[in-house]
Amino acid sequence: MANKANLYDVSRCTACRGCQVACKDWNQLPAVIEPFTGSYQTHEDTNGDTFTIIKFFESEDPVTGVHWNFIKRSCMHCLDAECVKACPQGAYMKSPSGATIHDPEKCIGCQYCTYACPFEIPKYRKREDKISKCTLCADRVEEGLTPACARTCPSGALTFGDRNELLQQAEARVKYLRKNGFPRATIYGKLELGGLNNIFVLTDTPDKFDLPVNPQPSATIGFWQNWVQPYFGWLIPLALAGSAMSFVTTRLLANKQGEHGHDHPVEGGHE
Amino acid sequence: MQFIPEYREDLPRVERFNFVSRMTHWGHTVTFILCLLTGLLLFMDGMDWMAPIFGGFNGANMVHRVAAVFMTLFIGIFVVFDFKGIINWIKDILRFGINDIKFIMVFPLEFLGFPVKVPPQTRFNGGEKGNSIVTPTCVILLMLSGYIMWFPMIFPAGLVRISYPIHDLAMIFATLMVCMHGYLGSFHPGSGESFWGMWKGTVRKDWAQHHHAIWYEETYGDKTKDAE
Ligand code: HEM
Ligand code: HEM
Ligand code: SF4
Repeated sequence: MANKANLYDVSRCTACRGCQVACKDWNQLPAVIEPFTGSYQTHEDTNGDTFTIIKFFESEDPVTGVHWNFIKRSCMHCLDAECVKACPQGAYMKSPSGATIHDPEKCIGCQYCTYACPFEIPKYRKREDKISKCTLCADRVEEGLTPACARTCPSGALTFGDRNELLQQAEARVKYLRKNGFPRATIYGKLELGGLNNIFVLTDTPDKFDLPVNPQPSATIGFWQNWVQPYFGWLIPLALAGSAMSFVTTRLLANKQGEHGHDHPVEGGHE
Repeated sequence: MQFIPEYREDLPRVERFNFVSRMTHWGHTVTFILCLLTGLLLFMDGMDWMAPIFGGFNGANMVHRVAAVFMTLFIGIFVVFDFKGIINWIKDILRFGINDIKFIMVFPLEFLGFPVKVPPQTRFNGGEKGNSIVTPTCVILLMLSGYIMWFPMIFPAGLVRISYPIHDLAMIFATLMVCMHGYLGSFHPGSGESFWGMWKGTVRKDWAQHHHAIWYEETYGDKTKDAE
């Protein structure tokens, strides 16, 4: 099956947060109430029981004035996902439609995936000692439905469908936006990290939305996964083999050279 | 075949390790091995069959953390109750000199059982001095990175990310040393007598004279008797 993606068009989003509610509803996630911080944003970040949130950013530009940006944050469903590679339990897999799904049965809560993820999306769910995150509603998609968020969105900001078709749509939209008052409009998720199944049409540069510009897999995690784990461990059997060899040779040599001393205290010795 | 050299009560013996260092050494040995076995479950692919011993992966995680806490406690007890011993240990490591270098050069032959001439050694020989630096350094790194991995939410993400390779590398180098160290401190015919120093506290007098001549002279030699 071809990659199926969610296209999120910032310029169409009204920040009604219908998607946030629909997500809670479909995934039967309990409410997580965080204290009011003076922002419209409901939660500081996604969490174990909140797979998607709308983030709000206020910025002031001396020329163009005050800007109020918002963006939907959730798992990016990278085509080549870091969490899949980092998990020691093989708890992650790619669904036939390209969603990154996580099996709580296999998860042991080590949280390696949280820190391997360039977006720190997998979140620890304390009450279960496991990780949880957005599934791109793989269960619904399998049944031919669209993800709960995309189905709910009243303004047409979220569209679910074939990734290639959505990319064309997104590019046309970016062209239009650039001509109509958003010269820095851009597409995000087409090439980033080898492609994401969450594609964004942004009205400004990614950093204005707290998205990493040109994200890269963590170098330390890569060193750990690609070098330390496969190769360095061989030093241990080497040490064991050395000791086993010594166990044999010390005893053989002791027999051959008569008494090499150690077994015979008092008389024996090194000299 | 003989494994550990026989414990000879009939021969004169001298004290090598006090109770606190013996108790904490075996304490951190047992907890280290528990941490190692439960940690290898995650590190290696072919270890899954061992998980049920610890009650599955979640049980192994629990064992890893409980053992880690106890290991930290044993090391803490050692530091607090045998502080003088640690200072003397460090002082001895700092005496690293030409005899230690000579020791390390001939050690591979000695290790395999060839009769070699070894220059007189202080309390810890050249190899033990090396082990005394590498293994404790790795254990400290294991503890620091381990607690960061345990509570990643309260540390900066960059620190958590670097803790993973550090924990594994420290585990590998510590285990590599411990494999040879554990063998030398037990089944090796030459140095195996030291096992009794760590188990019962004393080693054979003649063994101490041969293996740690400088230490023996300074601690139990004629000069010390004159001074009394
Ligand atoms: C204070 C001491 C230690 C602490 C707090 C600690 C903590 C941890 C934690 C939190 C993990 C992540 C997996 C999990 O959730 O269980 C882990 C993994 C691991 N630990 Fe430790 N640990 C300690 C000491 C040790 C020691 C002494 C060894 C072995 C000699 C060891 C070997 C490992 C290994 C091999 C892994 C798996 C790493 C991987 O998946 O690549 N740890 N440890
Ligand atoms: C596997 C079983 C082990 C055995 C049989 C063993 C045995 C011994 C013995 C006999 C000594 C005294 C050596 C002497 O007379 O100077 C010793 C010292 C020491 N042990 Fe162990 N040990 C074991 C595991 C460990 C582990 C797991 C650690 C640390 C992680 C460790 C750390 C040390 C250190 C730092 C010393 C002092 C320096 C030295 O003598 O190398 N040992 N051990
Ligand atoms: S927390 Fe769970 S899903 Fe994430 S890496 Fe660890 S075992 Fe895998």
